[in-house]
Amino acid sequence: MAKPKISSDWMAGCAGCHMSLLDMDERIIQIAELVDIRSTPITDLKEPDASGVDVGILEGGVNNSANEEVAHKMRARSKILVALGDCAVFGGVPALRNFCGIQEALKRAYIDAESVDESGKIPSDPELATMTKVRALSEVVPVDVFVPGCPPDADVIFYVLAELAQGRKPELKDKLLHWD
Amino acid sequence: MITLTIDGQKVEVPEGTTVLEAADKINVRIPRLCHHPALKPYGSCRLCVVEVDGFRTMQASCTLPASNNMVVRTDTPALRESREFVLSMLFSERNHFCPFCQVSGGDCELQNSAYDEHMTHWPLQPNWTNYPVDTSHPYYVLDNNRCILCRRCVRACGELVGNFTLAIEERGANNLLIADVGVPLGESTCIKCGTCVQVCPTGALIDRTSAYQGLDKKVDYTPSICIGCSVGCSVNVVTRDNRLVRIEGDFNGAVNGGLMCENGRYVPMTESRQRITQPMLKKNGQLEAVSWDEALKAIADRMQPLLGKGDHSVAAIASTRLPAEALSMFKQLFADGFGSTVVTSVEEGLPTARSTELAQTVGSFEAKLDALKTADAVITVGVDLSRNHQVAGFFAKRIHPNGVPLIVIDPSDNGLDPICDVAIKPEAGQDADVFRALLAAAKGETIADAQLANAAQLIGKAQKPVIVYGKGLIAFNDPQALEAMIEYAKAIGASVIGVKGEANSLVAAQYRLDRPFALNGHQAAFVAIGDDYVTQRLLQRLEKAPFLVAQASYASKLTKMADVVLPVTIWAEQSGHYVNLEGRLQEAVAALQAVDGVRSNVEALRAVAQQVGIETKDNWKEALFQRKSAVEIA
Repeated sequence: MAKPKISSDWMAGCAGCHMSLLDMDERIIQIAELVDIRSTPITDLKEPDASGVDVGILEGGVNNSANEEVAHKMRARSKILVALGDCAVFGGVPALRNFCGIQEALKRAYIDAESVDESGKIPSDPELATMTKVRALSEVVPVDVFVPGCPPDADVIFYVLAELAQGRKPELKDKLLHWD
Repeated sequence: MITLTIDGQKVEVPEGTTVLEAADKINVRIPRLCHHPALKPYGSCRLCVVEVDGFRTMQASCTLPASNNMVVRTDTPALRESREFVLSMLFSERNHFCPFCQVSGGDCELQNSAYDEHMTHWPLQPNWTNYPVDTSHPYYVLDNNRCILCRRCVRACGELVGNFTLAIEERGANNLLIADVGVPLGESTCIKCGTCVQVCPTGALIDRTSAYQGLDKKVDYTPSICIGCSVGCSVNVVTRDNRLVRIEGDFNGAVNGGLMCENGRYVPMTESRQRITQPMLKKNGQLEAVSWDEALKAIADRMQPLLGKGDHSVAAIASTRLPAEALSMFKQLFADGFGSTVVTSVEEGLPTARSTELAQTVGSFEAKLDALKTADAVITVGVDLSRNHQVAGFFAKRIHPNGVPLIVIDPSDNGLDPICDVAIKPEAGQDADVFRALLAAAKGETIADAQLANAAQLIGKAQKPVIVYGKGLIAFNDPQALEAMIEYAKAIGASVIGVKGEANSLVAAQYRLDRPFALNGHQAAFVAIGDDYVTQRLLQRLEKAPFLVAQASYASKLTKMADVVLPVTIWAEQSGHYVNLEGRLQEAVAALQAVDGVRSNVEALRAVAQQVGIETKDNWKEALFQRKSAVEIA
C-alpha cells in the first residue's frame, strides 16, 4: 500500500504550529517513513497535489480572501482536513481584531503604532487580498480533526500524525488536550 | 436518613442533602461551575444536570434535594451532549480565548470542564462583543469579558461577607458584573476582602499581585493562620521558590470558613519596609553590622549586672504578634530572670486586663464566635468591626439582611453606623450608662431616650442576642462599664464576645504581659517588636533608656534609636502558637525559609537568656492556664 500523502499550509497564524511540528526533532524521520510529505510552507512544493492528498493540515485562521482560497483548495484536495492550533480551531490571537473591527485594527497598526511617524498609511494596493472578519477554519470549510493548542506540543502533533498515518482518527484528551 | 442510587451505587445521606452532595460523598464527580461548597446552591450554569427516574427532564443536581429511592444517572450520552452544549454556549458568549488568560492551564474551572468533556473546539463561534474591563481597584481587576455570570462573587459578597457590593445588571447578553450602581470597583463600597476573587472560577476577577506568578500546580500551599488580628483566620499561604505569591482563605477553616479581610489578605503583600538581616551594634553613635556573638555579648555586658535588680533592671515590652513560645520565653527572661517590674506587651493590657481581672472572680464568661453566626440580635460596643476584627464583622453584617437587628454603641464614627438599626453615641467613657438604661428597659421601665428605647425593643424580641465588645468599652477609666454590660447580658440571656487586640492578645494577658509600660528606674529597655509597627508614643517613652535593645524584623525609628539590634523572622518565616479571641489554640506554620542571618523571635530571646545565664523552660502551654481567662482556652 502506498504511503498516505500529507500536505500542509498556513494562513492567519504565526507559523508557531509549524515550528512546534519541527520541534518533534528526530521523530520527524519516523513520520517521513510512515507518510509521503508533499507540499508544506517550509519545503519547496507549495500547493497540495491537484490529484489530492490523504491528509491536509492548515494552521491559522481565515482573515482574508487569499486565506479563503487556501482553505477551499486544501479542503477540496484533502480526504481528511486537520485544523492545527488555536487560530485554525478557534480563530486565536488574530481573531481579537474582531472585537474592534478591521479599520480600527489597521489604524492602530499602521498609523497609531508607537514606531510609526507621520508618513504612516494603511496599505491599499489593489493586489492585496481583501480583509474579512477572522474566522476559525470550521466556519469556512468542514473540518475533520481539531488539534487545539497555542501551539500544540510536538508530542501532540506527533501523536496526531502517527494516528492519521495509520488510518486512525486521533482522540485528544487528558495530557494531549490543551487550549493554550 | 435517605437512601438513593447514583450510577448504580447506593448512598445514604441525611435529609436535605442535594443530589450533587450525595454524589460527592461517593466520589461520583458531577461537573459544576456555579456551585461552590461555601455558598448556597444556585443552579444557574446547568452543567451539573443529571437524569432521574420518573423526572421528565434533566435536573440540576446542585439544587435538587435527594429523596428516598431516587435513581440518578450522571453520565449518559444525552447528558454529555447537554453538558457540551452548555459549555459551547458559555464559551461563545464572550471572549474566552485561552492562550493569553491568566488562569489557563489548570486554574480555570471553565477550561477544565471543557477538557473533562474532551472538547477539542467550540461548535458555536463567539459573539464578538466587547465588555468593560475595570482596573480601578488596587488589588484586583474585573474583566467582564471572562465572566460566565455564575454569580459566585455576587453571592460570596452578599451571603458570606454581607457587603452586597457586587451585582449583575441588565438582562441576557447585556448582563454585566458591576459594583454598587455601576461605579468603578475601586470607588465602590468594596471593602477589599478579596473573597470574590478567590471564588471566581474563571479569569474574570484577577488578583493583581499574583497574576501570572504561577498556576496552582507551580506553587506551594502552606496551611496556617492569619496573625493580622485576634480572629485567627485559617489561611493558605501560597509561595513559589521561597517567595510570597498570595494569601488565601481556607474554606474549611473552623474560625473563618474561608473569609479574610484586607488586613489579612492584601496588606502583607504590600509590605515595603526595609528588612534587617544582620545584628547591629552602636559604636561611636553609629549602628554597625556585627556578628550574633558580638551583639549578644554586648547585651550581656550591659544587662548581666542588672540581674535581680528588680525595678532597676530591664523594662521589657513585646509585640502581641509574637507566637506564644516567644512571649513565654520573653516573660521568663525578664519577669522571672531579671525580676523586672515592667514586663508587658505593646497593648499594655488595654483590650484585656479588665476582662481578665473579672474572670479571676467569675471565671470564663465569654462565648465563642459561633454564637455570632447564629445570633438573632447583635450589639457591638467599643469596637468598629468594619476596621478591626473584620471577619467577625462579616458574621454580624451577613445575618443583618435576615432581620437580625444590629445595634452599634460607639462614641466615634463607626463603619457599621450606616447599616445598623440603631447607632447609639454616648459620651466617651459613658457606656455603663447605656447598659444601665437598656437594663432598665429590659426590666419593663420606660426610658426617655427614643434611640435607646428603640434599641431595647429590637433586642427585647431576641432569643440568642450577642454582645461584641472591644477595648473601647474597657480601656476608659470607667471601671463599671464591663460590669454593667455583663449584668445586662445576664438579664437578657446574651452571649458576650470580647474581640481583644492583636493575634496573641489573650496569650499576653495570660502571661501577665498586660500592664502599663514605663521606664521608671530601669537601667535598660528591651523591645521585642518582631515585624510589628512601633507607635510614636512608645518611642517617646523609650527615649531616656540608658541602654536599648530592639529585636526587630524591619528598620524603623526604634532600630535607629537602639544600641543593639537583633534581626528576627517575619510572620511568614516562623512557626508558633496563637490563641484567638475565642480561646482557640492554633498554630501558625512557616511558609517561607527565613532570610539568612535572622533568627526566630523565640531563638533570639533564648540566645539572650543563655548569654546572661538565665534558665528558661519550654512550658508556654502550661503557662497559659496559670490564671483564669476571660474565654475558655482549648
